[in-house]
Order: sequence, then structure tokens, then C-alpha cells
Amino acid sequence: MSDHNLHTNHDDHGHHEETFISKYIFSMDHKMIARQFLITGIIMGTLGMLMSMIFRLQLAYPDMKFPFLEGILGHWGKDGKLDPNFYLALITIHGTIMVFFVLTAGLSGTFSNLLIPLQLGARDMASPFMNMLSYWFFFASSCVLVFSLFVDGGPASAGWTVYPPLSALPKAIPGSGVGMTLWLVSMVLFIASALLGGINYIATILNMRTKGMKMTRMPLTIWAFFVTAVLGLLSFPVLLGGSLLLIFDRSFGTSFYLSEIVAELAGGIERTGGSPILFQHLFWFLGHPEVYIILLPALGITSEVIATNSRKPIFGYRAMIGSILAIGVLSFIVWGHHMFITGMNPFLGSVFMLGTLIIAVPSAVKTFNYLATLWQGNLNLTPAMMFAIGLVSFFISGGLTGIYLGNAALDINLHDTYFVVAHFHLVMGSAAIFGMMSGIYHWYPKLFGRMLNETAGHFHFWLTLISAYCVFFPMHFMGLAGVPRRYYANTAYDQFNVFIDMNEFITIAALLGGAAQLIFLINFFYSAVKGKRAPQNPWKSNTLEWTAPVEHLHGNWPGEIPHVYRWAYDYSKPGHDEDFIPQNVPDRDQMDPLDEPTSLPEPSLTKVHNASTAEVTH
Amino acid sequence: MKIFNSLTKSLFLFSLLFTFGFNLKAQSADEGKTLFTANCTACHAINDKIVGPALKDVHKRREEAWLVKWIKNSQAMVKAGDPVAVQLYKENNESVMTSFENLSDVQVKSIIAYIKAESEAPAAAATAAVPGDNTKTKMNNESNESLVSSINWLLLIISILLITVISYVFSILNRIGKIQGKEVINWTSVNGFLLLAFLVIGLIATFWEFAVHSKLTVFADGPASVHGKEYDNMFMITLIITGVVFVITQILLFWYGFKYKNDGKRKALYYPDNHKIELLWTVVPAIVLTILVIRGLFVWNDMMYSKEENPRNVELFAYQFGWDARIAGADNKLGAYNFREVGKANALGVDPKDEKAKDDIIVKELHLEVNKPYHFSFRSKDVIHSAYFPHFRAQMNVVPGLPTQFSFTPSVTTAEMRTKTGKPNFDYALLCNKICGSAHYRMKMVIIVDTKADYEKWLKSQKTLAQSTPVVSENTVALK
Repeated sequence: MSDHNLHTNHDDHGHHEETFISKYIFSMDHKMIARQFLITGIIMGTLGMLMSMIFRLQLAYPDMKFPFLEGILGHWGKDGKLDPNFYLALITIHGTIMVFFVLTAGLSGTFSNLLIPLQLGARDMASPFMNMLSYWFFFASSCVLVFSLFVDGGPASAGWTVYPPLSALPKAIPGSGVGMTLWLVSMVLFIASALLGGINYIATILNMRTKGMKMTRMPLTIWAFFVTAVLGLLSFPVLLGGSLLLIFDRSFGTSFYLSEIVAELAGGIERTGGSPILFQHLFWFLGHPEVYIILLPALGITSEVIATNSRKPIFGYRAMIGSILAIGVLSFIVWGHHMFITGMNPFLGSVFMLGTLIIAVPSAVKTFNYLATLWQGNLNLTPAMMFAIGLVSFFISGGLTGIYLGNAALDINLHDTYFVVAHFHLVMGSAAIFGMMSGIYHWYPKLFGRMLNETAGHFHFWLTLISAYCVFFPMHFMGLAGVPRRYYANTAYDQFNVFIDMNEFITIAALLGGAAQLIFLINFFYSAVKGKRAPQNPWKSNTLEWTAPVEHLHGNWPGEIPHVYRWAYDYSKPGHDEDFIPQNVPDRDQMDPLDEPTSLPEPSLTKVHNASTAEVTH
Repeated sequence: MKIFNSLTKSLFLFSLLFTFGFNLKAQSADEGKTLFTANCTACHAINDKIVGPALKDVHKRREEAWLVKWIKNSQAMVKAGDPVAVQLYKENNESVMTSFENLSDVQVKSIIAYIKAESEAPAAAATAAVPGDNTKTKMNNESNESLVSSINWLLLIISILLITVISYVFSILNRIGKIQGKEVINWTSVNGFLLLAFLVIGLIATFWEFAVHSKLTVFADGPASVHGKEYDNMFMITLIITGVVFVITQILLFWYGFKYKNDGKRKALYYPDNHKIELLWTVVPAIVLTILVIRGLFVWNDMMYSKEENPRNVELFAYQFGWDARIAGADNKLGAYNFREVGKANALGVDPKDEKAKDDIIVKELHLEVNKPYHFSFRSKDVIHSAYFPHFRAQMNVVPGLPTQFSFTPSVTTAEMRTKTGKPNFDYALLCNKICGSAHYRMKMVIIVDTKADYEKWLKSQKTLAQSTPVVSENTVALK
């Protein structure tokens, strides 16, 4: 904790004139940067979702022509038929956008930026300038990716995992020309953004906590962001290395990933001696921690939202931190489960299988802790809370299918089928999106100083929940029938074509889900301007961000930064009138913030009845 | 699908007509048909655009010499600046057509002859002559499909109407609330009941899905390989365990959401932890997972390290967008290959002078003998593919420059599987399961599992590499 941070107040930050550009565009204020990340993420997310609608239409109606496709896609939709190459481009860019631009930058970028300084009691990030750079690298990276949609040959089309040789040889698929180069450039910029952000988050969390904010008093959101940042810092450079080698292979004639390529594809040079599997190792060394980079912030948000709206302390706070750390460590030794059938040594497969199934234990602990937090709570079912409950439901549904896929033996017949598509869209896609939505509904008053419309929020939740289950649950059965993912149509196989009705059902459900997001978009942008003004602490929450004024101040708090006297989860504590005690409220006799608050009698089940029969006193 | 089906059927019919009925200029077109199905159908059809353009009347659009040149190496023509070639390349979004330099001029011409015969054939006659049974089932399917399809749309319209009505009701209630100055709708209790409803409907829907859709999975057909039984057991154990956990945890989650919703009368229980319970739900999942891991490891090792002695050697060669299978001859040894020779003397780049290669047999439709162990080795010409045999519970990636392998013993013949599943047209398929380009979704090979007698009969009808084509012996000189 730096003293500088504790005792300077807002005025010391100077009275320099803020122009439009320095306030809204090249802003160094973490709250503005959080908004920038969020809005860019929402725009990219809308784009990614629209792409999924187009390829869902193709999958449901492989024989039908949609003249409007020619209107929006030009020569890729000639005569209303989606070109198979462009279908592959769409799934590639959909995956890239959703995994990196929405669920990494949009989720972690938004909430790490907003909450780390506010929940820890810091004036801003450790380096506001690097923070600004982080956003602008992200912005540049988004622009390059969107630009790549319009180049000759189309955008990258080798799947979001861009396995070489398909991604390395321009002759193998049209998208592996300029489009692929731009994809790699975009990824390099993205990694720079992620690293600049990550270093900042870690430095801020370690050094800039207010007095009394011990590591063991931090809200679980911050713990999740902390481990996420560490994971990103350790794994993104590996992808950077992998991408650079791929750039060399593509542009400078090296053969890191290429071996025994026939002359007609090799482009006039010898392409031997490399290994395509090397790229997969480098990619998944990031790729698997990436799953947790996406998921942990969503789980952190959920912990906070569930505790606040259950009016109960999160169950097993220390076990939750332990699970986050365990997941973080284990996530580095499981990447091989994406590669069981690449021809990897079967013994190595056994090791990865062991690691993968061990990681299920902390995940199970987290789920049970959420359930225990809900038990005997006093739930306020706000939109944020509903999305958090939805996340837990998806986390269970999608997590359990991970036990099939993590088992090397079972993976043999399920690998790369729709079973995998269903699995990760539930556990990583839907769950993380729900975590993000939960966060948006919960912290919207902090982000924009206004409230979102609640009724619209509930409609948004129910339609999204129903459509997500209708879209992804049936896909399990397609996977069990062996339908491979990334197929343009199932028409070539009798045994797969029986799913045409199911595909149609899924597409209709997806369109419904897309329409539901319109409710959200309208609500989001309308409320930012015209919403009801937010009170300071609308959810009666304990964490420090709700002690800051509603208006955004540069430096967050006018006057002194609040000190912290307790953990973040003193909800419904016996012996207090209110059902919440903010972190900055000292107990009787507690003089120094670093002292433990006055100890409580051990909770026991006999108290359950007393507590539940007691009237709420306020 | 329908189109493709009727197409293959009409192709079949035509081949019948040609061989038995009118023996016209059959020879060339007949060979062309075989070559066409083996090499072209992944991307082309006569009447429809698939990945590449429809080929109907292509002999009228281009000269034969031009076509031969194009089919053998289209990229060379584009590079040389042939205006028609460049235009065609651009029109097809710069998709590169596979080169077929291993085909002789005569062979390419026979393909063109076949396309010509097909283009001139009256299409109506072909469809009318499809055997009666099939037409019936097809029509049934179609009416079913359109029925389900209209139900889907009906559902959509109903749900949109419902949403509109509900949101209208809510907006009225909201207005009333504003006038009265208090909230009319208590969202917490509405959501509580909705959570309960979702739980009940969701569980019913899940069981319904299992009842209806599990029949469509490969697990309903049963395994077609020896190790498949072990695989299916493992799968069922996992299904039962995860199924129980799924039902219990989802019930708890949604039930708690309903039961403990804020009713304004209670205070929540301050209950921050309980080490005994936490220990319990850490240890129990750990034990269950250990059991699954140990069992899984046994199955995995059994599948990966096959103990069968003297398996028959087969090489599967993958390229954009098809498969070739090379069966080791009498010596059960595969001859050497060189990737630099791929597509020259023969499509696989096998050295024809290697003694071991001479009796190798290269086929486009793989026949296997039932209950005979097989050892497959995989090789790719261009990008990563994945050899996926869903019914045999087998899959292995095909990686350029990295030899991979998989062993299994087929245990159910195609004929038995057809009776068992009640599908007279059933065939085992080898399909590509790793994104490899535009026609990835059509990259397939039919696998037929025969009885010993049938297999030997089939084997006799195949030519070894040494006998197969005179082209090989011509080119051996050029190879040096």
C-alpha cells in the first residue's frame, strides 16, 4: 500500500483543463477506459452474433437460397448461396471475436478496469498511461480484424485455432492469403493490449490497496481478476511467439510448422523439417488458460452478485480463493487435452487426462459453494442475480460434459464433433456471457450513473436463457451421432442429414436469442442517456465502489480514501440492524483498520431458526 | 441431400443401363463414371454447384484440350495468364482446384465423355426410374420434414405473440404502478415462480430429448469394433454419473432460487463456512473422478496399444478433398513412398520399384474383413485432416510430415449393421473431422466390412500397383 495513495486527495490531481479528447477519447481515467472497453466489446459482440446468424441459416436450410445474402456479402453470397469458403471464414471470425474481443477484452477489460481501483480503494490504476495504451492497442486490433473482412480472398478461414499448414499455405484456402496476415497482425496487437492491461492490474492489486484492505479481505472479484491477469501474463507471450513463427512461415519462407508439403502448395520452396503439432502446443498453451481467463472474471462477478443479492456472505470465502488459485495453476498443465488424437504419445495423453479431471474438483467446489450461498438466503432476484443464477446453471451443464471430453478414451469419438461445440458454448460461451451480463446489470449504475430498465432486463434474461439452452442442448445429440463441427452442410451423409429438423429448430432459437439481445442493446444505450438516476448504493452492497459518489470524479473519492475494517461479505450479520455492513465501517473497539473486527460467536444451526423467524428490522 | 441422393441413384441407374441394357459407347463413359465418383464428387456435381461449378454441358463451353489441361493443373494455367482460366479462378473466389496430374489424358477424356453422356441424358427418366420403395420412404421423409418445419415456425410465431402480449401486459402494469405510486409487479416473486417452472419444463424436455434423440446417435447402433464395447461401457458409466449430478445440482439451484426468494419477512442466515461440509464436497468429487480417471486410463491404453498380433496393414492417404486407401499385399508390408513424387507416377507417391510396393492395392472404397485386426497408418498430402470412423469408435489426425496410426478390429459387417439398424442403405463412413478447406464437409470414403469369403472375392477383383495402369511403368523412367 502506498502512502501517496492514501493521503493525497482529489485536489492534488491538478486542475488541468479536460478537453473533449482527453476526457472521452484518449482518457487515462480507469472508469472511462472501462466504458470504452465495454462499448467496443458490445459492438464486436453484435458483429460476432450476426455472423453466427448467417451460418446458422446455412446449416438449417442448406438447399435454400437467400437473395439478401448477395446484398450483404457480395460475391461470397452469389445467387443467395453462402460460399463454403466464406462459411469457414465466418466461423473463424465468429470464434476469434467471441473468445478474444468480447470475452477477454470486453469482459476482463471492462470489469478489471472499473472495479480494481474502486473496490481496492485506489485513485486509479498503477499506470494510467499504460492503461490507455492497452485500450488503444485493443481498438487498433479490432479495426484490423474488421478490416480483414473486406480483403481479397476473404478473412482468415482456418478456424479460430488457425492450425497450419491450412493457415500457412495461401493455396490451401483463399482465406489464408492477406486475410490470414491481417488476423495475425490483429492478434499481435491484441496480445500487446492484454499484456499492458495485465501488468497494470497485477501492479495495482499488489501495491495500491487502501489501508486495511489485506489480500484476505479483497472481494472475490478482485481475486478472480488477479489470477486472470497472472494467467494472461504467463500465457499470452507464448501465443505471441507462436504467431510470430507463423508469420515467418507465411512471409519469409521458413518451415517451423511445415513438413513434407508437396510442391504445388509449397510455393516454390522446400517445406520440410518442421512440425504442425508444434503450433498446436504453442497455441493451446495459451488456449487453455485462455478458457479460464474468460471464465474466472465471470465467476468472480457471480460470487459478488450472488452474495450481495442473497444478503448472505459468500459460502467458503477461503475455499473460493483456493479454488481460483488451484484452477489457475492447473490450467497450465492441461492444454494437451485439446490434442489427444493428434498423434501425441499416448502416455503424454494420460498425463493431460489426469490434470484435466483434477481441475474438475475446484470447479465442483465452486459450484457447491454457490449453492450453499443461496441456501437460507433472502434472494433479491434482480436481473444481475438472475444472470448469475443462469451462469451457475450453464457452468453445471457445460462443466459436466467436460468430464467426457477430458477423458482421453472418450475424446476419441467425440473430438471436434458438435458435442464439443455444445460443451464449450455452454461452459465458456453462455456462462461467461451471462457473467458479463450479470456484471453489466449490477455495475451499470457505477458505469453510467443511471439505472437500466428492470422489466426489460428480466425479459432479456428469460429469452436469452431459453434460447441458449434450446440452441446448445440439442447439439450434444448431434455430437453423439458423430456430426463433425465446421461442416458447411450435412447433406453428404445420410446419417447426419436426419438432424435437419433439429438444425432448423436450433436456428430459429438462435434468431430468437439474437432478437432478445436487441432488447438489451436498446436498454443499454437508451438508459445511458435517459435512464433513472442511480442512487449511491442501489443494491445495498458492502464493497468500496458504492462508497464513491455516483458522478465520476477523477481520483474516485472526494477527500480521503476510505479505510477498510472488514471483509466484503458481512451481510445479515447477527447483532446488526441493517442486513449489510460496508467494508469501511469499523466495529466497536476497532481502532486500526488492520485489526480483525470483533470476533463473532461461531454460527451454528440452532441460530438458523432464530435468524429466519426474526423480522427484518429496517 | 435429396439432390445428392437422387443424383447418386441416377448415376447408379445409368451405370446399370450402360452395362446391361444398351451397350452404347459405354466403355469410355463407364470408366469415366468410376473416375468421376472417385475424384470429382467431393466438389462437383453435374446439375448443381457444390463447391465447384455444375459440370452440365461443360464439353460445350470449353474445348476438350483446354479441359484436359485445366483438370491436370489449373494453377499453371492461371499463372500462365490464360484469360478463361483466370476468369474462372476469380469467379470461384480464388478457390484452388486440386491438380490431377496422375490421371492420364485418356482417363481425363473418359471423365469428360461421362459428363457429356450425363448432360445429354434426359433427367426426368432418371428420377422416374428410382425403385419404388425408396421413393416412398423419401416422400414420407419429405412430408415429415415439412410438418416438423411448419411446427417450428408455428412455435416461433406463438412465442413472438406471447412475448408481445406479455410485454404489453407488463407495460400496462407498470403504468398502473406509476399512477398508484408503488410497484405492482414484484419481480422477485415472479422470477421465483418462473425459475420453478423453468426447472420442471427443462427437466421434462431433457428426458424427452434423451428418449427421442438418443436413437439417432451412434450409441444406439452399437459399436462396430471390438474395442467399441469397452468404449461404450465407459461412456455409459460417465453418462450415469454426470446425469445424476446434473439433475441433483440443477434441481437444487432452481429450487433454492424459488424457495429462498425475498418475501420481506425473513433475514438471511449468516453462515460463512463449514469446514466439514466443504471437505466432504471436495473429497467426494475427487474420489468419483479418480475412479473415472483410472477406468479411463485402462480404456485409453487398450485402445492406443493394441495387443493384436499380425494386424493387416492399411495406409490411409488424405488430400483436399478425399481419401485413398493402400492395402498391403500378400507380404503385408507397405512399400516406400516419397512426398516429392505425390501425384506423379501415382497419386500417393509410392515408389513403384520397391518390391514391397508392387503388390500394394490402392482403392477408393475400402473393404475390410470382419474380425480381422487392422493397423492403419495415416499420411496427408497437404494440410491436417482427421480420419474419423464414428461407428468404429476410432479417430486419428492425419498430419503432414508426422506418421500417425490407429488399430482396431471391425466386428460387425455392413450387411449385419443394415439389418440391425433397419436402414437398407447404411454404409460405414470414414470422414474428415479437421477443418481442411471448402469441400471439407464432403470429404468421405465408404467403408464396407465383408465376411471372409466376400472380402477375398473383392480382393481378387482389385489390381495391384504393378498391374494397375501402364502409366506407372511408363513413368518409372521419367521418375529418375
